[in-house]
Amino acid sequence: MIEFGLTMNITLGISLLTMLAIVYVPIKYKANLAAFTIVINAILTSWLTFPALYGNIAEFSLYAGALMGNIPFRIDGLSAWFILIINFTTITGVIYGGGYLKAYTASHSKLNLHWILFILFQLSMIWVCILQHGLAFLIAWEVMSLSSMLLVIFDHQNPRTIKAGLNYLVQMHISVVFLTVGFIWVYAQTGSFGFDAFHTYFGNHSNIWLFLIFFTGFGFKAGFIPFHSWLPHAHPAAPSHISGVMSGVIVKLGIYGIIRIISFVKYDFLLLGEIVVSVAVLTGLYGILNAAIHRDFKKMLAYCTIENIGIIGIGIGIGMMGIGNGSPLLYYLGFGGALLHVLNHSLFKSLLFYSAGSVYQQTHTRDMEKLGGLIRYMPKTAAIFLIGAIAIGGMPPFNGFVSEFIIYSGLLEGMKSSSLSQLSLIILTFAGLSLIGGISILTFTKTFATIFLGNEREKLPHPPHEVESRMLWPQYIIIAAMLTVAFFPQFYLNAISNILSSMFASQQGFAPPDFMHYSGIAANISIYAAVFMGLIAISWSIRSYIVRRNTDAVQPSWGCGYTGNSLKMQYTGKSFSKPLGKILNFLLIEKKQYSELKQAEIFPAKRNYASSYHDFFEHFFINSFIRKLLYITNYFKFIQNGRIQSYVIYGIVFIIAIFVLTALNIIQ
Amino acid sequence: MLSFILIFIAAVFFTGIIVRTKSMASGRKGPGILQPIKDVIRLFRKGAVYSQTTSFIFQIAPTIYFSSVVMAMLVVPFGQYKGFISFSGDFIFFAYILALGKFFSILSAMDTGSSFEGMGASREALYSMLAEPAFFILMGSLALLTGHTSFQEIFSALHIGSYITYALAILATFVLLMIAMIENSRMPIDDPKTHLELTMIHEVMILDNSGFDLGLILTAGYLKFAIYGALIVNLFIGVFPYGYTIPLFFIIQFSVAITIGLIESFMARFRMGHNAQFIFALTSVSLLIFFGALLILGKFI
Repeated sequence: MIEFGLTMNITLGISLLTMLAIVYVPIKYKANLAAFTIVINAILTSWLTFPALYGNIAEFSLYAGALMGNIPFRIDGLSAWFILIINFTTITGVIYGGGYLKAYTASHSKLNLHWILFILFQLSMIWVCILQHGLAFLIAWEVMSLSSMLLVIFDHQNPRTIKAGLNYLVQMHISVVFLTVGFIWVYAQTGSFGFDAFHTYFGNHSNIWLFLIFFTGFGFKAGFIPFHSWLPHAHPAAPSHISGVMSGVIVKLGIYGIIRIISFVKYDFLLLGEIVVSVAVLTGLYGILNAAIHRDFKKMLAYCTIENIGIIGIGIGIGMMGIGNGSPLLYYLGFGGALLHVLNHSLFKSLLFYSAGSVYQQTHTRDMEKLGGLIRYMPKTAAIFLIGAIAIGGMPPFNGFVSEFIIYSGLLEGMKSSSLSQLSLIILTFAGLSLIGGISILTFTKTFATIFLGNEREKLPHPPHEVESRMLWPQYIIIAAMLTVAFFPQFYLNAISNILSSMFASQQGFAPPDFMHYSGIAANISIYAAVFMGLIAISWSIRSYIVRRNTDAVQPSWGCGYTGNSLKMQYTGKSFSKPLGKILNFLLIEKKQYSELKQAEIFPAKRNYASSYHDFFEHFFINSFIRKLLYITNYFKFIQNGRIQSYVIYGIVFIIAIFVLTALNIIQ
Repeated sequence: MLSFILIFIAAVFFTGIIVRTKSMASGRKGPGILQPIKDVIRLFRKGAVYSQTTSFIFQIAPTIYFSSVVMAMLVVPFGQYKGFISFSGDFIFFAYILALGKFFSILSAMDTGSSFEGMGASREALYSMLAEPAFFILMGSLALLTGHTSFQEIFSALHIGSYITYALAILATFVLLMIAMIENSRMPIDDPKTHLELTMIHEVMILDNSGFDLGLILTAGYLKFAIYGALIVNLFIGVFPYGYTIPLFFIIQFSVAITIGLIESFMARFRMGHNAQFIFALTSVSLLIFFGALLILGKFI
């Protein structure tokens, strides 16, 4: 297709031009220029994707030399779905980011690099969804990882930011190692890097190991446990619009990769599905448990992303079990729920990160225990955060419920299978999902209440006020999009059923009437949600009529007889979630630093008490592994001794070794 | 429609019966059965005092809490007769809409900035979270047993099987009763009559509510009791005609209320620290129901 190639060239051309232009325009217009480019790129690429959503696959291939061979570019339904999500989130991100970074007008070069990288970041994510050639895919993947890493360390004077960035960089490269091994393995077996070679490979070889390699590789990006530990470091360190886009989209590209690989798998769906479901439930529970206890609200949102990846994973897993059981409905419900949750999560998580970013911009702290009562100064941000919190808790009037309901329905449908092991897994998943929902209520009531409700816990250096409209508008747009999902789910589910029916064309020709039945139910639920809103409106109007008539008195909160200064005595977020942390103290590791009073210490001096929670996997596995690795490598430190003379000797030794080995015909 | 009216009538008497049972068990005469309703009506007419710390969240929360309970009430069927709302998987909607109400009641408690109310909110969030899997495993097992996924279909299909289903129904009654106690913060979990804020859960959350709002919250509590009572009734009434089921409905609601009254009279509240274990143990009872369902379906072996 000519327009496809043309569009790719145009987007690349425009982007390169504006990247140059950004360096030269005045500082005021940099963000606007970047936003303009991203909107243009988004419109052009989205234009390509609409036919794909209705089953018209766009593709062409490009000859790229002897090494790469033909690189197929292809937009099918799955790519289209993810490209649209990427475009929406990057647009809101770049508009919000323009407002968010206004405080940094002094650092010219920093902003140049930031906006250039942001454009590159969007392009690379789109390429990842389009390229269907192993090596080209890895290059795009790498560009995406590197650009996002550089975006994360925007605040690079801060050593903790650098550390988080390095952590991210290293983990992403472990991920790339797995992916490379996977692609090379397929290449070795079939002689082609194109994605079509997967069909040949999976048709003739065992499916399990290659899938698991790719699942691990993409799992790093998506944040499945135990590969999640970069998220809680990178998200808090990044500027909020970057966290929003990363959590909303980049993490989802891991999911894209996994679904893409699944679309080539031929056998063993049942086993693989069970593995995915088990990992996903544990991921969800682990993510939300950690989210419940952390007091850094961006870290909490990062853990919450891990939870939602778990929910998406549950959908994917039961979808695979559906293929394994030969149940089309289960396949549709599982993958449909997963894809819809990908969209939903990208919406409400970016919303939450943006509103959290507004709080950070005004208060300069990510520690929720230092905040409180912000609803009086930032009512709009508070309302936005509240909407995001309800939606992410999966509660009815918003979109989170729709996708969780589809996944729940999938689990109920899965109960029609006959094997005992599947049934047990499904009922435990069912309970796990409900527990995730329950803990997310705890998490978000805690976060919202600690940040926005009650009284200020500490005096802030600058009095906070509502953020500018440039930062609010993207959030309103996201809420509008969320409402369309909540109230017109049938539209989205139709698109998803188109994607799913073409994804497995080779597998079996699924007819989805039962799925349409569920889509109808989802549409009905939106009516019930509207009824519910009506009910609230009626009771509210009755209430306000009566309450207005009765004279109100406004007095301090009931202090149970205590009349002193009670601002410091408010319940903190830490104490709110402490009972949960205590029950699960084997998983949620708390470290306390304090010194006990000594026996003879009659006049104790002022002392400090600090406590922090540690990530279970990071604490027990990753850190101890790194410690051991450092211990071993310590013995080889003499090699890198910093003296140029010895480096020259190494060079000479190397050359001599090559000479001797070739002379003796050991290597050729 | 029928279930809506019946639950409403049951709610009028339910709490009164509990209070009356408790007072009779402790050798007192006790207030009339309708006293709780009279209290609520009086509250509706009273003026309200608001805390100066609170925001609009505190104002809307009682309304949303009340509406969520009414909405949940619309989902509950009456035996073979559907509620207003009935679709495959409606019990998920039921649980999540109640969760929304709880979400706002927790927020409104935190909105007052009082440390006591925060304490109650924290406990409420934790305990209701722990009770969630019990309800879902219970409903999941019943769905597995009957092959249906909506309240009405599950309850009308529950009786076609053998008598063992009634054994499961009794276990399910236990689970639902306990969930009702947890949701309404009743005795083994929480003591509504305690006078010490430190040991309260639900009561301490609504310390700052007064007048109309308090009336809404109390009404919602009465309705919630009757809703769980109705779910228990549904386990037993099956496809019998109206003539039997409506009296049966009131008999079962009545005995549930008396049971709750008796539990409250003869049991002490658990230590706060033990509550979590107790609630989670409920999940294992639900798992028993799941294994029972597997046995009946012959999935073992």
